[in-house]
Amino acid sequence: MRIVIGEDSALFREGLSRLLTENGHEIVGTAVAADELVEVVRDVDPDLSIIDVRMPPTMTDDGARAAVILRAESPARPILMLSQHIETRQVVGLVGTGGFGYLLKDRVLRVGDFLDAMRRVVDGGSALDPAIVAALVTPTRIDDPVAALSAREREVLALVAEGRSNSAIAAHLVLAERTVESHMRSIFQKLRIDEAPDTHRRVLAVLTQLRQ
Amino acid sequence: MLAYGPPSIGEPADWPVTTALLLPALLLGWLVVVRAPAGPIGPALALTAAVPALVFTAEDWGTTAHTSSPWPAASAVDKVAVGAWPWLFLGFVTLVLLFPDGLLPGRHWRWIWAAMPVSAVLVNFVVSREDAARTDTTPARAALIVIAFAAFLATLLAAASSLVVRYRRGDQLTRQRLRWLMAAAVAVPILLGLSWLASALGAPGTLAYTWFLIAMLVLIPGAITVAILRHDLFDIDRLLGATVSWLVTSLISAGVFAAVVLAAGGFFPDRVGVTTAAFVTALVLLPVYHWIHRTVGRLVDPDRTVALARIRDFVRRVRDGEAEPEQIEAVLRSALDDPGLQVLLRRPGSELEPPAGAIPLQTGDSVVGALVLGTTSARRVRRAREAVVEARLPIEVSRLQLELREALTEVRHSRSRLMDEVNAERHRLERDLHDGAQQRLIAIGMRLRSVQYQLDPGVPAYRELDEVVETLEETVAELRRIAHGVRPSRLDDGLAVALRHLVADSTLPVDLVVPELDVGESAATTVYFTVGEAIANALKHARATRISISVGLNDQVLRAVVRDDGVGGAKEGFGLTSLRDRVASAGGEFTVVSPPGAGTSITVEIPCAS
Repeated sequence: MRIVIGEDSALFREGLSRLLTENGHEIVGTAVAADELVEVVRDVDPDLSIIDVRMPPTMTDDGARAAVILRAESPARPILMLSQHIETRQVVGLVGTGGFGYLLKDRVLRVGDFLDAMRRVVDGGSALDPAIVAALVTPTRIDDPVAALSAREREVLALVAEGRSNSAIAAHLVLAERTVESHMRSIFQKLRIDEAPDTHRRVLAVLTQLRQ
Repeated sequence: MLAYGPPSIGEPADWPVTTALLLPALLLGWLVVVRAPAGPIGPALALTAAVPALVFTAEDWGTTAHTSSPWPAASAVDKVAVGAWPWLFLGFVTLVLLFPDGLLPGRHWRWIWAAMPVSAVLVNFVVSREDAARTDTTPARAALIVIAFAAFLATLLAAASSLVVRYRRGDQLTRQRLRWLMAAAVAVPILLGLSWLASALGAPGTLAYTWFLIAMLVLIPGAITVAILRHDLFDIDRLLGATVSWLVTSLISAGVFAAVVLAAGGFFPDRVGVTTAAFVTALVLLPVYHWIHRTVGRLVDPDRTVALARIRDFVRRVRDGEAEPEQIEAVLRSALDDPGLQVLLRRPGSELEPPAGAIPLQTGDSVVGALVLGTTSARRVRRAREAVVEARLPIEVSRLQLELREALTEVRHSRSRLMDEVNAERHRLERDLHDGAQQRLIAIGMRLRSVQYQLDPGVPAYRELDEVVETLEETVAELRRIAHGVRPSRLDDGLAVALRHLVADSTLPVDLVVPELDVGESAATTVYFTVGEAIANALKHARATRISISVGLNDQVLRAVVRDDGVGGAKEGFGLTSLRDRVASAGGEFTVVSPPGAGTSITVEIPCAS
C-alpha cells in the first residue's frame, strides 16, 4: 500500500520506511512537521498515513492536530497514530471512528502485529493499543457506567476496542466464544446500548460511551 | 520694683497689689522670650505688664505735685499722666494683633495697629487739656472728648476682633489655641466701655476701672498660658516646670536650713548648728528636687505623664506577651494624640530615607527607622523623642519581625523558583527520554528486524535476534516507566486526566471527583504526586477499604483532599514530611487529620496565580 510517514525523528522515520518497504509497501511521502504533513497527504493521497503524535513546531500534540484536520477534510482517510506514551486529549474524537488506529511506538517492533493493525485500519476498522484503551476505559466518577463493569468485562471491552472479533477475543483470553458473547451482552446491557447486528457499530457505540 | 511710687502716697497695699497684678504677664513674657527669642509674642506680653508699670509710676510721680515734697517736674508729669491711661492698652493691642504666630492677620490690620497710638495720643491730649482747663466743658470740647473716646474704643474693639477673624479662618488647632484668648480679649474693651458708663453714672473711679484692668492683666495672660500649655505653643511647660521646681526646692531648702538652725541652736553652739543645717539641707536637696520636679511635671504637663505611662504599660504588655509589638504605631498615635503619626522601619537591604523633620530611631550607630509626626511643634517633637526612648523595645522587636518576615518571604519565593526550575528540568528530562533514548532504541530495534528478515528463519541467529528485540522492547517500556516517574506525561492531558489514570492503577475502590482544571505545571505536578503518595500510604499503612479524592479550584487555590476509611493515627514520618516539603515548595499548605480509628484525611492547598 502507499504510505505517508509523518515523523520528526530521522532515525525512527528511516527505520520504519525500511521495514515497511521490505514488507512490500511503498513510502510515497514523508514529513517532519505537522503543517508539512498535511500538505504532503493532500498531495499524494496515500492509502495510509502513519503520524507521530508529538511533532514540530510545538513538540506537543501537533501530529494529532494534523490528523484531526486531515480527517475533517476527508472523513474516511485511514490514519494510524504513533506515540511514545499515552496522550488522549486530541485524538479522543477520532478513537472509535472507522479507519483509525493509535499505537505506542514500540509496537512496530512486533512487525507482524503492526502490519495486521495497518491492514485493519486501511480496511476501515480500528487498531487501538491496549494501554490506550485502558486509559480510555478508566472510570472517572462513581456514576460512570464503565464503573459498573466487572474486571473481566473491561478486559473484553478493551479487546473489542482493539478491533478484535469475538472469536479472536475468546482465543486471546482462553475462553469459550459463547462466554465472550455473554460478556458482550452484559456489557451492552450495563452500558445501556441496544444490541445491533454490526460488530463494528457496537465497537463505535462502546467507544462513544467511553468518551463521555 | 513695678509701678514704683512714694510709699507715703495712696494706700499702703497699692504697691504689692499692682506688682502681683503685673508679675504674671511679665514672667510669662520672659519665659516665651527664652523659648522663642525670635517671635514678638514674648516682648508683647512683657509690654502688656511694662507699660502699665510706667503709667502707674507716672501717675504716682504726678501725684507728688500735690504734696509737701514734690518730685522733680512733678506738676508737668501730672498734666500728662492724668490722661496717660490709654497707653495701658499698648501691649494688649500688640498682643492680640500678633498672637499666636507673630504676624498680623492681614496687610490692612497695620492701620489698626497704627490707629492705636494715634487714638491714645488723642485721648491723652483731650483728657490732659480738660484736666488743665478747670472750666466748664464747652460743647465743642465735649464733642472732641466723645470722638476721642469713641475712636479709642473702636480701635480696641477692632484689635480684639482680629482674634475673631483668625479664629474663623483657622484650623482645629488654631481655634483651640485662640478660644480662651478671644473671649478674654473681647471682654477687655467691653469692660472698658462698661466702666466708662459706670463712672458716668457716678460709681467711684477705682471700682469702675478695676475690672478691665483685671481682665487685661490677669485674663489675657491666663488665656495665653492656657493656649501655650494646652495646645503646644513655644514648648514652655518644661522651662516652666524647671523654674517652678527650682523655686520650690530653694524655698524648702531654705526652710529646712532655717528649721535646723533654729532647732540645733538651742543645744549647740552657733557654728555647729549652721554646719548641721548645711549638712541636712545638702542631704535632702537632691531627693526633694527630684520629687518636686516629678510632681511639678505632672501638674504642669499631665499629658506627658499620661502618654509615657501608656507607652510603658504597652511595653510591659508586650513583654508579658499580651500585646503584639506591631501595635506600637497605633499606641504611639493615641498616646501622642497624633493620628497622622507614622513609624517607618528600614527594610533589610534598602536604605531608609526619612522625610525631613522625622525623628530617627537608632540601634547602636545605625538608623533603623524614623518616626514621622502628623502635627509638629517643638513640644510634640520633644515628647515624641521621649516616647521613642520608652518604646525602644517594641519598635526594635517589630523591626526584627519585619526583617524576619521579609527574609521568610524571600526564602519562600526562592524555594518556589527553585521548584519551578526542578519541574522544568523534569519536563525536559522526560522529553529527552521519550524523544531521544526511546526513539533511538526503537529505531535500532527496527533495523534489527530488517536484518532479521533477511535471514532464513531456520538459522539460530534469527531466534536470537527475536530475543534481542524483545529485550529492547522491555527496555523501552522500562524507560517509559522511568520517564513517567520523573514527570507523568499524562499531565500533558491535564491534571484531571492524569489523576484518573493514577487512580485507575489503584487496587482499592477510589471515588475521584475532579473537574477539568487549567492550573500551572508546578501546582499540577505537586498535587499529582501528593495524591499518588497519599493513595500509596492509604494502601500500605491505613488498611483502608475505600479512598475518596476530591480536587477543585476555588478562589485561585487548588485544593485536593484525599480521605480514607482506614485505621487513622498517621504520624509525621518520612513520607508525610517529604509530602509536606513538596507542597511547601510549591507555596502551598499541607494538612493531615488522622485521629486513631477514624481514617486519615490529607488536604493540600496550593495558590495558583494562573
